[in-house]
Amino acid sequence: MSLSRRRFVQTLGVGAAGAWIGARGREASLFSLEQPLSAAERMIILSSNENPLGPGQAVLDAVKGAYGVAGRYPFSTVGDVTRAVAELHKVKPENVLLGTGSTQILRTCTHVFTSKERALATALPAYEECSQYAALIGAPVRGVSLDSNFYMDLGALHKAAVGSGLVFYCNPNNPVATAVDGKSTREFIERVLRDSPQTTILVDEAYFHYATLPGYETMIPLAVENPRVVVARTFSKAGGMAGLRIGYAIGHPQTIRKMAEWDATGSVNALALAAAHASVTQDPSVWAAEARRNNEARAFTMKWFSDRGYKPTDSQTNFLFVNVKRPAKEFREACRAQGVLVARDFPPFEKTHCRISIGTMEEMRKAVEVFGKVLGAPAITAAA
Amino acid sequence: MSLSRRGFITRLAPGRDAHAAALIAARGREALVAESLYREVGELVPPTGKEIRISSNENPLGPGQHALDAITGKFPEAGRYPFNSTPNEGKLVEAVAQKFGVKAENVVMGAGSGEILTNAVRAFTSPSRPLVTAWPSFENPHTTAEKIGTPIKEIPLDAQLRIDIPKMLAAVKGAGLVFFCNPNNPTATVHGAAAVADFVKAVRRESPETVILIDEAYHDYVTDPSYTSAVELAMTTPNVFVARTFSKAYGMAGLRIGYGIGQAAVIKELARYKMPYNVSVPGIAAAMASLKNQAHIDQERARNTEVRSFTVRAFEQMGYTATDSQANFVFVDLKRPAKEFRNAVAQHGVIVGRDFPPYEKTHCRISIGTMDEMQRAVEVFKKVLAPARTTSQQ
Repeated sequence: MSLSRRRFVQTLGVGAAGAWIGARGREASLFSLEQPLSAAERMIILSSNENPLGPGQAVLDAVKGAYGVAGRYPFSTVGDVTRAVAELHKVKPENVLLGTGSTQILRTCTHVFTSKERALATALPAYEECSQYAALIGAPVRGVSLDSNFYMDLGALHKAAVGSGLVFYCNPNNPVATAVDGKSTREFIERVLRDSPQTTILVDEAYFHYATLPGYETMIPLAVENPRVVVARTFSKAGGMAGLRIGYAIGHPQTIRKMAEWDATGSVNALALAAAHASVTQDPSVWAAEARRNNEARAFTMKWFSDRGYKPTDSQTNFLFVNVKRPAKEFREACRAQGVLVARDFPPFEKTHCRISIGTMEEMRKAVEVFGKVLGAPAITAAA
Repeated sequence: MSLSRRGFITRLAPGRDAHAAALIAARGREALVAESLYREVGELVPPTGKEIRISSNENPLGPGQHALDAITGKFPEAGRYPFNSTPNEGKLVEAVAQKFGVKAENVVMGAGSGEILTNAVRAFTSPSRPLVTAWPSFENPHTTAEKIGTPIKEIPLDAQLRIDIPKMLAAVKGAGLVFFCNPNNPTATVHGAAAVADFVKAVRRESPETVILIDEAYHDYVTDPSYTSAVELAMTTPNVFVARTFSKAYGMAGLRIGYGIGQAAVIKELARYKMPYNVSVPGIAAAMASLKNQAHIDQERARNTEVRSFTVRAFEQMGYTATDSQANFVFVDLKRPAKEFRNAVAQHGVIVGRDFPPYEKTHCRISIGTMDEMQRAVEVFKKVLAPARTTSQQ
């Protein structure tokens, strides 16, 4: 390898070079300069709330360690990882159910607790998985608008919850990034439990690690005690494993059993299990470091938008929800043309707001330059 | 829940109850037996870590190095969703489609072919549209049907332990889904192309609304020259689709990748139930690398054929007959309960298959491991098996 080629690879930066290597395969023309990087490989991906650093070396080493069992059904490993997750949260294994991403957990909850006669109640917008599954099985969806500050309207959500099968309580909320504190959440849950004995509450804490709101709390202690509260967690965000596909539910043993009876862990893959085991047995400082990393880049990006008059919501996650004063589609296409991918439309705010994930600080510095160019141009379409 | 089930659950080790109970509940009535046996077996197997696992029809060699290298190559994208990775999940669908010369709309991926089978029962059956399945056959559709309240028509096998086509045909009218496992698990038998084509034609005539799912999980291990894959049949016949998996010859049971292939209309209906992002980023890479390496699969078929022949011969020499195995396992008439045999070999570190009613009083399913493993296993079998019995048990 010539010196100039080696330098070329280094100047791409670890992440980009890694992506290129991954895409091309180690054997094929790794150092060929003839083939330009494909569009996806050059893009700054801020569309899907991923952790740009991935899961870290210790986890990847554990994945490699599982190569020897990639040909075996991972049934016994499920038990080991269930126990490790339980230990992390100081609960019992019977309080834990693994899933192929929290995607599977959300779908299972919706399946078990809603039906044609038992509606799903959800803030609107909120992460769409439960609503889409409800539509699949013909369960009605009661969508509840957010308040004017982009917080879940707990009074209205309570009304919609009464008589429903399942409340989807996405906290912090995706896509609007805001969070509700523990006290208010507990009060909401207690009201629903009291006023609607057949309703279950699914608390999606996918972005738990990134929440800095004073008084924000996990509902895990409530969930293990009460069969009608379930907490969903994922390894896809702070855990950096969106590609490996693993998440979990924490709940009362009765509820976990009910969920497992419908759809247990037969689809969780061996590499994800090895990764999850490594992840939950890591030193807790790893999680804190990732939160710090994100929150620094988040603060930088929020300030950038605020300073220019584009208001982001109070983000408690690894993404922003910003009033870009033009349709998200327009903003998105303009950013894409300059190498930055931002998120899809989120009705009813798609005429004005865009969701933008937080990448590395370096990526965000580059991204805001693109945002500046795009926003500097006057809005083509007037905001509604 | 019956008292016996409850009693069984409380016998489980503390801390493992709900998980094991959940697995049991999820895998259904037969699996209840399965899990209890693995508990028994687990307690009998000497803790050397050197056990011979020939219970689950896995490829003992695992994925090829090309697949593992592809996985390592994706490490930088472990944090990206499968739709954001390069190649993305759409590219895997295209690669599968290309393998069969079809379009992307003719293919749907599953987290294991288990997801395809489960979704098929959900998509095509209901309380008024039964599932028709040979019995015993692979349990997944049966278990799913039980969960969703779909009536099940269990069709006993014929005298050669093959799917009884005439009996199955007699049951299809008004069925939502026919599950045709070819080769059949657990009996390892296969029907040739002509028989399958005739069966499909007859079902189409008799009950055109019925969907036919042909599970070809063991396709790559078939050596019977009368067999052909039903993919072309599926592509040219409405309401027919084929399930395939990367779990067997491709050696990736741990990665959970399978797919369905058929005409666009039936695949579209099936795909409505698909779990989003169900194939992992490493899985996509491993699958695509494997699809490019047919030579590896051909080698695996040759390896399995040799070891399978050795195993069948060994049983014959001991006086025990296996069915005509066209898969990577054998179904042997041991003339004693599978449980007795299974527990006995477990004490020597060999783990064989679960019970398959109604043959569990006589037959055992044994997967094909490496030649070395099967040579060692056969020595254990010889120790454990008395000469063939013709009279009552000792």
